[in-house]
Amino acid sequence: MSASSQSANADQPSFLERNQFLIYRLFSLAGLVPVGAFLVVHLLTNASVLGGPEVFQSRVDMIHSLGPLLPVVEWAFIFLPMIFHAAVGMAIIAGGLPNVGSYPYSGNIRYTLQRVTGMIAFAFILWHIWQLHAMGKPLGGGAFDPHHAASTASAALRPMAVAVLYAIGVLSAVYHLSNGLWSLGVTWGIWTSPAAMRRASWLSVAVGVALGAAGLGGLAGMRMVDVDEARAVEGRMAEARELLEGKVAPQAADASGVSDPAH
Amino acid sequence: MIRAVDGHSDGSGAAAVGTSAKATPESLRVRVLRQDSPGRESYWECHVIPYEPNMNVISILQKIAARSTTEDGRKVAPVAWDCNCLEEVCGSCTMLVNGRTRMACTALVDRLVEEQPEEIVLEPMSKFPVVRDLMVDRRRVFHSLGRVKAWVPIDGSYDQGPGPRISPEEQEDAYPLSTCISCGCCMEACPQFTKVEVQRMEGESVEAFEARRTAAFDKNFLGAHAISQAMLFNSHPTGKMIADERLEALTDRGGIQMCGNAQNCVAVCPKSIPLTRSIARAGRAATLWAIRRFFDR
Ligand code: HEM
Ligand code: SF4
Ligand code: SF4
Ligand code: FES
Repeated sequence: MSASSQSANADQPSFLERNQFLIYRLFSLAGLVPVGAFLVVHLLTNASVLGGPEVFQSRVDMIHSLGPLLPVVEWAFIFLPMIFHAAVGMAIIAGGLPNVGSYPYSGNIRYTLQRVTGMIAFAFILWHIWQLHAMGKPLGGGAFDPHHAASTASAALRPMAVAVLYAIGVLSAVYHLSNGLWSLGVTWGIWTSPAAMRRASWLSVAVGVALGAAGLGGLAGMRMVDVDEARAVEGRMAEARELLEGKVAPQAADASGVSDPAH
Repeated sequence: MIRAVDGHSDGSGAAAVGTSAKATPESLRVRVLRQDSPGRESYWECHVIPYEPNMNVISILQKIAARSTTEDGRKVAPVAWDCNCLEEVCGSCTMLVNGRTRMACTALVDRLVEEQPEEIVLEPMSKFPVVRDLMVDRRRVFHSLGRVKAWVPIDGSYDQGPGPRISPEEQEDAYPLSTCISCGCCMEACPQFTKVEVQRMEGESVEAFEARRTAAFDKNFLGAHAISQAMLFNSHPTGKMIADERLEALTDRGGIQMCGNAQNCVAVCPKSIPLTRSIARAGRAATLWAIRRFFDR
C-alpha cells in the first residue's frame, strides 16, 4: 500500500466509498433499465427493416414524432444512464484482476467476457453515435437522416469493414446484456440456488440468441435495402406526413404523385 | 484413490487412463517461488527429490527441507511453509500448486504428475502478504470474519437458558456453511479480491501501523467466506439477533457489492461450500435491508 494514508484517522471514507453499495446497485439496475431495455427496443426497431423500408420508416417516424422532446428523452433515458453505467463499469474493470488463465471455469470465462464485451460495446457505441447520430454531424459523421431512414442507414453500412465492425459491436452488446441479466439475477438474489442459476443461464442464452438474431437480422436487412427504391418510398412517406401535418398545400402534393403510389 | 500412474499395475487400466510405463517418475522436479522476508524480491528455485508412491505436497516439502540442496547442488536454507492438521481441517497449508490455489496436504502427487509430468510448481498465495517462502499472512481472512460478526452473541455473566431448537432442515442447510476452514482459497481465486499489503514505515509505532492496516482491510472486499459466514449466522436463531449488524457490514465499503459473480470461489473451495448460494442470498437480504433502512430511518 502507498503512504497515501498517513494515519487511520485521516483516512475518512469518501462519498463514493460511503455509498458504494447504493452506487453498484444503481449501476446494475441501470444496465437493465433503461439501458438494457433501450437496447432491446433499438435492435427490434432496426430489425423491422426486414419488413421493408416503409415499415422501418414508420417506426422511425414514431420515435421522431417526439420532436423537440426527443433529445430530452434520449439524454434522460439513454445517454446519461449509459454514461453512469459505463463510468462505474470502467471503475469496476480497473479494480478487478481477471485470472481465466489459472482458473478457466465457465463462470470465470463469462465474468471476463462481461468485461471485454463492455469495453468493446463502449468503443462501438461512441463510434456508432458519431457515425449515425445527428450529434456526429459537426464532426463529419451523423449520416443517418430520420426522413430517409433505411436508405441512409443502408448506405452507411454498405462497406464490408463497417458491417463486420457492426456485427462485432452488436454481438458484444447482446452478450453483455444477456449475460448481465444472469449476473444481475445473482446480484439481486433473484436466483439463489445452483439449480436456479443453471435455469437462469438458459434464460440468458435464449435472450442472447433472440437478440443476436434481431441485431444481425437488422444489420443484414439494412444492407439488403435497395437504396434508390427506399429513397422513393421514403420521399412519398415524407410528403404524406407533411400533408397530414398540413405543412404543404394539397395541390403541390398531387403534382408530385402522392396520390398515385403505384409508381 | 490413486489411478494407475504406476506403469507396472494392470496394463489395461493404465491404457484406459492414458498413461504409459515411462510415466512412473523416479524423481520429482519441484519449482518453488521463494521469498526471504516480507517486501523482498521473490525468486525461483528448483529441487529434485526421489519419488515415492502416495506422496502429497507436504511430504514433498518435508523432503525438500531435509535435503535443502537445489537441483544444481547449492546448499540453501530450508523452504518454509505452513501446515498443521494434514487432513484439510485447519486451513493453514493453502498455496498455489501448479498455479492453482489449494490445500497442500490434500494435493496428491500422483494426481499432479498425471496432470503435469514435467514438474510441480509451488508458489505462495498471491493475494496475501508473504511472510517467508510459502508462508503467508492470512490475518485478513479473520479480519473479514470480524467485520461481519461471524459468531453467535451469547456473552454474558448469567445463565441464558437453553438455546432455541433448530429443525433438521435448517441444520442441513447450515451445516455445509459451518465447515469453512478459513483457508483463503475462495479469496485467492476471486478476480475481485486484490492483495492488501501494508508495510510498517520508518519510525511508525506498532499501534499506528496496525490501525493503518486495519483501515486498509476495512475498505477492501470481504471475500466469499465472510459473506457465507454472515449468512450462516443470520440463519441461526440466536445469531439472528444481530442480523442487521451483519447486513450493515455486508453493505458497507468492500461489501457484497464487490462480488462480480465470477464464481471461482465455489469452484476452488476445498470444503465444497455453496458459496454462490450464500452470495445470492446475501444479495437478496442486502437489497431488502437497504430498502427497509431507507424507508425506516
Ligand atoms: C450496450 C449497453 C450496455 C448494457 C445494455 C449493459 C448492461 C449491463 C447489465 C444488465 C449488467 C449486469 C449488472 C449486474 O451484474 O448486476 C452489466 C454489467 C456490467 N457492465 Fe454493462 N451494459 C452496457 C454497457 C456497458 C459499458 C459501456 C461498460 C463499460 C465498459 C459496461 C461495463 C459493465 C461491467 C464491468 C459489468 C459487470 C459488473 C459486475 O458484474 O460487477 N457496460 N451491464
Ligand atoms: S469458504 Fe471455502 S475456500 Fe473460503 S475460506 Fe472457507 S473453506 Fe476456504
Ligand atoms: S462469485 Fe464473487 S466472491 Fe466468488 S469468486 Fe466470483 S467475484 Fe469472487
Ligand atoms: S494442513 Fe491443515 S488443511 Fe492442510
